Amino acid sequence: MQLLIEAIGFGIAAGAVIALGAVGFSVQFGMSNILNITYGSLMTLGAYVGLFLIDRGISPWAALAIAGVVVAVFSVGFHRWLLAPLVRRGTRAFAIVIVTVSAGVVLQYVIVIFAGPEAKSYGEQSAQTFHLGYLLMTASQVTIVLITTVLMLALHLLLTRTTIGRAMRATASNRILAQSCGINTDRISDIAWFLSGTLCGAAGVALAITTVSFDFSLGAVFLIPMIAAAVLGGIGQPYGAMLGALVVGTASELAAAYSNPAYREVVAFAILIIMLLVRPRGLFGTAWATRRLMT
Amino acid sequence: MGAWEFYLVVILVYLGTDLLAAWGLNLEFGVSGVANLAFIVTIAAGAYAYVVFTLDTPAAGGSFQQYVGGFHQPFPIAVVAGALAGSIVGVLIGITGLKRLRQDYQAVAMLVVSLMAATVVSADTPFLNGNAGLVLLPQFTPFSDQDPETRRWLFVGIVAATCVIGYFVLRRFTTGPIGRTLRAMRDDELAASAIGKDIVAMRLAVQGVGGAFGGVSGALLVAFIAGWSPGAWAYIETLALLTAVIVGGMGNDRGVTIGTFLIAILVLQGVQFLPQSFNSLRLGLREDMGWILLGTLTIVFIWVRPQGILPERRPKYGGGP
Repeated sequence: MQLLIEAIGFGIAAGAVIALGAVGFSVQFGMSNILNITYGSLMTLGAYVGLFLIDRGISPWAALAIAGVVVAVFSVGFHRWLLAPLVRRGTRAFAIVIVTVSAGVVLQYVIVIFAGPEAKSYGEQSAQTFHLGYLLMTASQVTIVLITTVLMLALHLLLTRTTIGRAMRATASNRILAQSCGINTDRISDIAWFLSGTLCGAAGVALAITTVSFDFSLGAVFLIPMIAAAVLGGIGQPYGAMLGALVVGTASELAAAYSNPAYREVVAFAILIIMLLVRPRGLFGTAWATRRLMT
Repeated sequence: MGAWEFYLVVILVYLGTDLLAAWGLNLEFGVSGVANLAFIVTIAAGAYAYVVFTLDTPAAGGSFQQYVGGFHQPFPIAVVAGALAGSIVGVLIGITGLKRLRQDYQAVAMLVVSLMAATVVSADTPFLNGNAGLVLLPQFTPFSDQDPETRRWLFVGIVAATCVIGYFVLRRFTTGPIGRTLRAMRDDELAASAIGKDIVAMRLAVQGVGGAFGGVSGALLVAFIAGWSPGAWAYIETLALLTAVIVGGMGNDRGVTIGTFLIAILVLQGVQFLPQSFNSLRLGLREDMGWILLGTLTIVFIWVRPQGILPERRPKYGGGP
């Protein structure tokens, strides 16, 4: 029983990090209908920017914010000047995904060239732990769960209570109709990619905080659980992605606790493959979203 | 054997195996529209099958490596085993990709399959010696009475002969009635099935044949380099092949041949000739630059010339009013 509760605790912590990434990924797909595989390398970029800042004495949490902004700028530029023009020209979805995979590889190896291939670490984190019954979490994990909860709440408020949020939801739902309502969809897209880029960079730093050490493959490795979470929840549905992240995180930790730890990743892979084969629209995706997926 | 001569042998072997693999990927993706980003797994299957067929039983090797099989077969049988393994794995991958998903979704699913395969093989040590991989293959059996130099050139000859035969087999699938049916399936699946073509059977058949090409490629490669581990078939290796296909010309066999020449020789070998100072900065820097170059090439070509250097020849039907 103790093992179960501990695993669930780890699962919540892992789920929080995955949620940061999955929600951003989902927003990008919902807004632009693009599976942005470069997201993984952008997370790596966030982690390394965070490393750069932390090595110069900046606190990890400030570094998280700054790295988020840096990656946000990269994301907006990437979408606006590479992806959006390709889509406008009628490039097929498959070619776009190849572009994002290739861009991810290029970015990853540029990072390697500048920072080196060896493992890096953010150094000693506070060893303080929190106990709640059998639940055991480190201070960093608790902070990340809190930060993620705050960010998700902020996103929810943005999407539902602000004009920009409504414009974003409108653009994601039906771009042409949104344009005819007078919404500047290009600018709204830029804003969406900026926000999701922030989440991406924050996710990268959060990942680096929670892992003992990391290298340039950080983003590539964690991209799969994030896509799994996003697909599970319903690609394009941020709230679904949050729930999906919890499920993926908990399932992975349970699998690691009760069987081979190496199978932690396999759980995420399996969830993703099964969802894609059985119910591609995910748990909360609409039937309309499925049409988008089947074209 | 001089260093340059050996280098030439290495390049030719790599070129030959890359050609077989690129042709297989082009058959699946360029001609038939199957977004198989897990192609590298068929190559790995062929390589592992070859290894498992040529090695002796694990106990005979002092239980230094753990693996299934160990049938101690001669070279030709092991290569056939490689082809079969590649084919079976190709069909299995095809079955996972049967759901009529959007192409980019399918591509991501295949990428995940390839990652999953690498993770499972790495983690499950009794299967294929996990992350450490398999080494110590016996020398390949034909021409064992010749000296090593001549045997290397004879191996190049075997690879070349396989390529020639492979090309003729390939043309049977990419041209003529079969080729036209596959392209019809790629261009408009609904229309093709409306006139009675069995889409599922064709897709699986194409993945089987493409997988066989991959399997032979892997088997020949591993026979040469005499060792194979999950590090050799990371998911980005499919990208190198995909770049060759896209740059050369999707759906055009000659184009893909040119593309493979360019990628295998100019890019992957070209970076080896970067100034020595690059490598003294850090080990492996040249390979990293190679990947950056490949990725950039793919993006540039999709932006500027997505049909590739030699575009697919669209048949022109003459006559008419």
